[in-house]
Amino acid sequence: MNRRSLLRWICRAIASVSAAVVAVPAVRFLLHPLLRRQKNDAIVRRLAPLDDLPVGKPQSFPILGTRQDAWTTYEEEVLGRVWIVRRSNSETSPEQAQVEAFTAICPHLGCAIDWDKAHDHFLCPCHRAVFDSNGQPAADADLGYKNPTPRGMDALECRVVQDAETETWWVEVEFQRFEFGLTTQQALT
Amino acid sequence: MLRELLNSIDTRVGYRALLAPIRRRVLPDGPRWGYATAATLLWMLAVEVVTGLLLMTVYSPSLTTAWASVHYIEQLPGGAFIRGLHYFASQAIIVLFALHLVRVLLSGAFRAPRELIWITGLILLPLTIAWAVTGNPLSGSQKAYAQIEVEGNIIASTPLIGPLARTVLLGGKQVGHLTLTHLNFLHVALIPLLAGMFLALHIQQIYKHGASAYPTNGKKKKSAPYWPFQSIRNLSVFAVAFGIVALAAWHYGAPLEAPADPEFHNIPRPEWYFLSLFELRAYFSGPNEYIATVVVPTVALLVLLGMPLIDRVCPPRLSTAIRFFTVFGGLLAIGGLTGMSVQRDMHSEEFQAAKHEEQSLARRAHVLAVAKGIPPEGPISLLRNDPKTQGPILFERHCAACHSHTDADGKGIAAEESTAPNLHGFATRAWLAGWFDAEKIKSTEYFGGTEFAEGEMVGFVDDTLTDLDEDDQQALANLITALSAKAELPGQKASDEQAAEKGEIKAGIAALLETFSCIDCHKYGDDDPEAGAPDLTGYGSRDWLIGMIRDPAHSRFYGENNDRMPSFAPDRVNRENNQLDDRSLALIADWLRGDWYEPLGEATDQPHE
Ligand code: FES
Repeated sequence: MNRRSLLRWICRAIASVSAAVVAVPAVRFLLHPLLRRQKNDAIVRRLAPLDDLPVGKPQSFPILGTRQDAWTTYEEEVLGRVWIVRRSNSETSPEQAQVEAFTAICPHLGCAIDWDKAHDHFLCPCHRAVFDSNGQPAADADLGYKNPTPRGMDALECRVVQDAETETWWVEVEFQRFEFGLTTQQALT
Repeated sequence: MLRELLNSIDTRVGYRALLAPIRRRVLPDGPRWGYATAATLLWMLAVEVVTGLLLMTVYSPSLTTAWASVHYIEQLPGGAFIRGLHYFASQAIIVLFALHLVRVLLSGAFRAPRELIWITGLILLPLTIAWAVTGNPLSGSQKAYAQIEVEGNIIASTPLIGPLARTVLLGGKQVGHLTLTHLNFLHVALIPLLAGMFLALHIQQIYKHGASAYPTNGKKKKSAPYWPFQSIRNLSVFAVAFGIVALAAWHYGAPLEAPADPEFHNIPRPEWYFLSLFELRAYFSGPNEYIATVVVPTVALLVLLGMPLIDRVCPPRLSTAIRFFTVFGGLLAIGGLTGMSVQRDMHSEEFQAAKHEEQSLARRAHVLAVAKGIPPEGPISLLRNDPKTQGPILFERHCAACHSHTDADGKGIAAEESTAPNLHGFATRAWLAGWFDAEKIKSTEYFGGTEFAEGEMVGFVDDTLTDLDEDDQQALANLITALSAKAELPGQKASDEQAAEKGEIKAGIAALLETFSCIDCHKYGDDDPEAGAPDLTGYGSRDWLIGMIRDPAHSRFYGENNDRMPSFAPDRVNRENNQLDDRSLALIADWLRGDWYEPLGEATDQPHE
């Protein structure tokens, strides 16, 4: 190795090391949203006393919680909405009551699903995904267009619990977010 | 004098030699109108840069400040116009870009050795679109939020890297502060840098290879210097385009929808230049969606990039046919899809209603922002704490199963099953009068649908109030006036004061205590009768109404006699046991009482007037 090529190599080395000193933190800095561990633990909430729910008519409830957005903490934010359908009437005992809960977040691209009273089905206004009252996607043939949703509405864990003090029966829901666009319901990680 | 000054500068700087290629540029075949698309684009870009820099002096990206700063810009002198210019010039650039592309494609100006001009130009196409797309949502408006969400999800639908790319772009799983700082970075830093680089290369290549030759049908055209013969054509076209942009900016300005709030319902639509892809997407669903959103545009771009190659291997006739087919087929497809999408929305009542709603929210947000200013927690609280906006939503959600809120024409929110009083005009004189009318109190507008249809109040009205002498009629009228005045409705302020002056209120209270002896059943002041009928102290006031919604079964109201009305917030200790939080309670009460901000001098649509 002669003097000239040695000097060249030293120049290159200095440049590469300097570049790496910037590049490595730069990549980590830019990709930090991927590195940050976000938890998607289910949020358990009591939403309504069982007796307050009408039978067969879906009711919408907000899920409140704390949300962190970069440097701002929002207390008592609406994190999402759920639809609750009470299937059994008051003759069924609360222990056996049938109640179902769905998140209102559309499995297609995440808009908010509405209950369309006039047609007795769920409708997502964004791309007009339609679900029947059980949350199943409506058939293309019935709609006259392609139902954009990849799957039915995402069901949430839901049970009826009794308040220890007041002895009222409450509907309790585990709220979670799910991946969009997949044919199966998968919790967001 | 000037000449000497310039000479002396030139000897030191040498700017003339630097500018020589531009100043001395000659067009061998003379000037053409067709060439003007290039320069017009460049000037329009200059408009964008200047207005963009101006906007940057005020704009502040973050969820709490974006909308607020843009709203502030709109109020600054010249702000709305500058923002309008920026908005419309960006759309002009997209149109001009398309024209430029079509012109170059049809004239075959991409042939060797000009491939690099073609390629750098085509790279600028997605860059320009990305430039526009990253700019639109910076306003932090409702529409912006919806568009980012949808676009983020489109990115996520790309196989493999999609979801990661989305997280990086949004700065997390959901739209937040970082989404705006990221978009802002792309819009004002990264994309301009890249676009500038490719543009420089593009222009350098044009200078190197000269203007593209057009077929001249054998006729020899005279050569001409670029300046001023081509320049005048360029600037004429620019003047027209810029004129349209400036007019639109002056007349319409850039839209600013209501501040983003994921709670509000929104039907997102992309900007007009994306409607075709949006429409196409409707035909591919679920996991295939990326075909419409990623594959189709990429293939189209690759076909265009491959044009020089196609041209080289195909016979000239075929190549020309392919080019014409690409241009007109492409335009037809884009036009057709866009048309279909627009058509569909025009005929969709739902969409029109949502759009209408969006516009009225935008207006309301503006009114509140101007009147009260934007609080530090951001513009989202403007509409969230506005009874006029939230009242109907909350009412529909919590009250409209039983209560209607409809005016005399039946307009408003109709109950699913009207089993409780219609609350339109709550506590106004007209509304209260109905309670003392034997017919009305028994109708479903009042007690008709409740247990109280057979109750003591109805009995009292039937027995005592059906034929009153003139004095008693007057007393009843005073009673109604007095009771209504207790509610202190903002909409009735003036007439309440008048009534007080005329002594009607005093007389009304006397009627309440003595003539009709309401206190036999109702509480008033300190009396505490046994019968569970609502307290008339401060009847219909904010506090009264909030208390009533909170817990109608409280002894202050119906007590044990309460019919079916649920107690929405009876628990004052463990508030999470309540169905309604205090803020929502207050919003419903304020809305029912018509208690919200309206700018002076503008027609109000309060229910009491
Ligand atoms: S997001 Fe619901 S249909 Fe597209």
